[in-house]
Amino acid sequence: MSAFIPRDVDNTLTTVERPPLILGKQSFNAITESVSDVVEGKTKRGWLVFFALALFGLMILGASLSDLVGVGIGEWGLNHPVGWAWDITGFVFWIGIGHAGTLISAILFLFRQKWRTSINRAAEAMTLFAVAAALIYPGFHVGRIWLAYWLLPIPNQMAIWPNFKSPLLWDVFAVSTYGTVSALFWFVGLVPDLATLRDRATTKSRRIAYGIFAMGWRGSHRHWLNYEKAYMILAGLSTPLVLSVHTIVSFDFATSIMPGWHTTIFPPYFVAGAVFSGFAMVVSLMVLVRKAYGLEHLITLRHLENMNKIILATGSMVGYAYAMEFFIAWYSGNVYERYAFINRAFGPYAWAYWTMVSCNVITPQLFWFRKIRTSIPAMFALSIFVNIGMWFERFVIIVTSLHRDYLPSSWGYFRPQIVDITTFIGTFGLFFTLFLVFIRFLPGIAISEVKGVLPIADPHGHDDHHGDEKEVAHG
Amino acid sequence: MSSKQQDLKDTERLPEATAKKVQTLALGVAAVGLALSAVGYMGDKQRFAFSFLTAFEWVTTLGLGALFFVMIQHVTRAGWSVAPRRHAEWLTSILWVSPILFFVGVFPNMHTLYEHWLGEHAAHDAIVKAKQAYLNTGFFTGRAVLFFAIWAVLAWFFQSKSREQDSSGDTKLTEKMQAMAAPGLALFALSQTFAGFDWVMSMDPHWYSTIFGVYMFAGGVVAALSVLAIINIRLQSAGLLQKVSTVEHQHDIGKLLFGFTVFWTYIAFSQYFLIWYGNIPEETIFFKHRWVESWKEWSLLLLVGHFIVPVVVLMSRHTKRNKAILTVMAVWMLLMHFVDMYWLVMPNLDHHGVHFTLGDVGALFLCAGLGFALVARRAAASPLFPLKDPRLAEAHKVENL
Repeated sequence: MSAFIPRDVDNTLTTVERPPLILGKQSFNAITESVSDVVEGKTKRGWLVFFALALFGLMILGASLSDLVGVGIGEWGLNHPVGWAWDITGFVFWIGIGHAGTLISAILFLFRQKWRTSINRAAEAMTLFAVAAALIYPGFHVGRIWLAYWLLPIPNQMAIWPNFKSPLLWDVFAVSTYGTVSALFWFVGLVPDLATLRDRATTKSRRIAYGIFAMGWRGSHRHWLNYEKAYMILAGLSTPLVLSVHTIVSFDFATSIMPGWHTTIFPPYFVAGAVFSGFAMVVSLMVLVRKAYGLEHLITLRHLENMNKIILATGSMVGYAYAMEFFIAWYSGNVYERYAFINRAFGPYAWAYWTMVSCNVITPQLFWFRKIRTSIPAMFALSIFVNIGMWFERFVIIVTSLHRDYLPSSWGYFRPQIVDITTFIGTFGLFFTLFLVFIRFLPGIAISEVKGVLPIADPHGHDDHHGDEKEVAHG
Repeated sequence: MSSKQQDLKDTERLPEATAKKVQTLALGVAAVGLALSAVGYMGDKQRFAFSFLTAFEWVTTLGLGALFFVMIQHVTRAGWSVAPRRHAEWLTSILWVSPILFFVGVFPNMHTLYEHWLGEHAAHDAIVKAKQAYLNTGFFTGRAVLFFAIWAVLAWFFQSKSREQDSSGDTKLTEKMQAMAAPGLALFALSQTFAGFDWVMSMDPHWYSTIFGVYMFAGGVVAALSVLAIINIRLQSAGLLQKVSTVEHQHDIGKLLFGFTVFWTYIAFSQYFLIWYGNIPEETIFFKHRWVESWKEWSLLLLVGHFIVPVVVLMSRHTKRNKAILTVMAVWMLLMHFVDMYWLVMPNLDHHGVHFTLGDVGALFLCAGLGFALVARRAAASPLFPLKDPRLAEAHKVENL
């Protein structure tokens, strides 16, 4: 067993043998060093530049929200008949981004996909930050933010209750449960690594800070036993949760009888779209992070290629759903259904529709080619396209269905106002600020989990030869 | 690996006596089915056409579920599933029997089954007229031929390449199968969706649901996994496979069965819930037909039997690893898959409750018997697991800690 795999080995080549997941020095210590270095080393200039930009975005958010609270949400470009536009688009967009984190950390865990270990931590963190960005919208759309708790069914002397028959209330339950379980899952996974950072700390303040959150982790067998049980249970709980969240988000639209919204494929279609956009965001960010911190041997080209394959698969599922919607709109023979879809593709919002189709269905098909799947610039560009496309998907579904209703005299066109735009830009500021803080102060790669996929961690490592020889003898 | 495990051996081929017995059993079921079908057909030709379509859908969706299983193992480069993949390859042989069943038993009865868009009143039905470009005999037939061709070729490709590797051990073949699996899945998704629209959904041409293709898919995978579980357990119990297909693989198949049962429920619920909540008459009619008189109990049976029972029973690790319990659940799910197909097809004929007849059983036995006779033949003619699959060593090491 070699203790070193050259960093420039191409581990994406499609061979039937399992290529190495981790390159470079194959020792436990080397992994600890590479990951801890990001947290313990000097602040990089690049990080500061990005952090300044992100803070600027966050300030834009603060200004926009102050304005919204001060003046009211009448400042949004909503009109009649488009009573829902960038607000709910932004909400659905951010909730979707979060889905990759749970898919990687929970579902891929249940499917024993070892490659998840290098990317799960950062993706889970993105889940939390994306949920935070998403919550801006329902929180502030109430106008009087100090009454946002009315979203929750809290007994009160006025006997005012939210509508239990409304999917919007189910959203409140689904998203808050999802956010809570995701945070727990993320934190449980962090505990052993926080203890590592505590034990390596060179200053007292670091030792105390990491020590508090490491919760007395000493790495004993009993600790690991409990840890693994907890991790498995949380993975099992997160899996139906992640499906339920975007299912219920899709209900926001599909339970209505609006042509273009009311279609039975919405739940799985929204889940596939969410995973699609989430993975695109993970690829965009990981490409930058691995380069900036020299982590190319841990987040290898193979990890990125696998994610690109998932983008291709989920993008094709989304394409399938578009095709089903279109076909059934025609097949239904219902003139309103038919019109809604023809209007989408050729009406005043055709530009948005074709942006969506190009970014979500056409360009991801380039990932059929290995060359493009493994090219950093290509995947970076395509992942950005996907996120643009997925924002437009929600915009197209929401606005094109609303802007022309049954009464042509009330047809309208939505134009975003400055606050619509700055609020959305501001949520990026919030997301990136949180992400940059995370990358700087917490281990961005799950140290203990990556160690577990090294060949030296395989308790059966020595059996390999036996097995192979036997098989050769077999035939 | 302990020394005890190293003594274990996998038998390469089904003993001749067993192979004969399985084939005879399948043909026997088919013969009984034929006799009962004859009774059913004599009794009520129209009814039998519907019974036959139900049975045809049961066996065909099962074959499609197996084809999906084979391709998904390749596309994910799975190492655990070497042996179940071979068993699923056998099951895809069903897709060679399906076109015969279709063109002998379904196609000639088109005017009975698809009366609503083929019959006389179709010409005066504005909604049906609006979709005549799709729903017409010529295009319908052409599509059916295309779907069967896609499935037959995919089944042939994966079976033959896998068998070729048994003798040559060439790893290039694994690469070829992997390369074919992704475009194969795309073709599969579209063809099985439209087959579901054509053969089942169009029986009531006014009704439509965008999720219908996914619904048909989910049920088929549940059925295929049930058969894979039974094959795994039988081969284990007979002591034929001891390393490549063990209680660990049984456990994994059980997990997938549990997962896809939940997935089926998710899809079924999405369809039901959105139609119920929207409450538009042209959509709710589908569930209304399935809620009149004894159809109500049948619908509830589907809910309890296809969801609540398997979820409760298969949740536990112990039940999935228990041969007897998993066998019972697999058989139960196959039965529930029939209940599902029956629930989709028969209310188009019986508007006043369930009229279960001998012909229903006969058609099922006939289609299943013929399908599985070919499966048994393929099982007898091919090794019990891919002998030289490059991932055999991985499959041996699977453990559910």
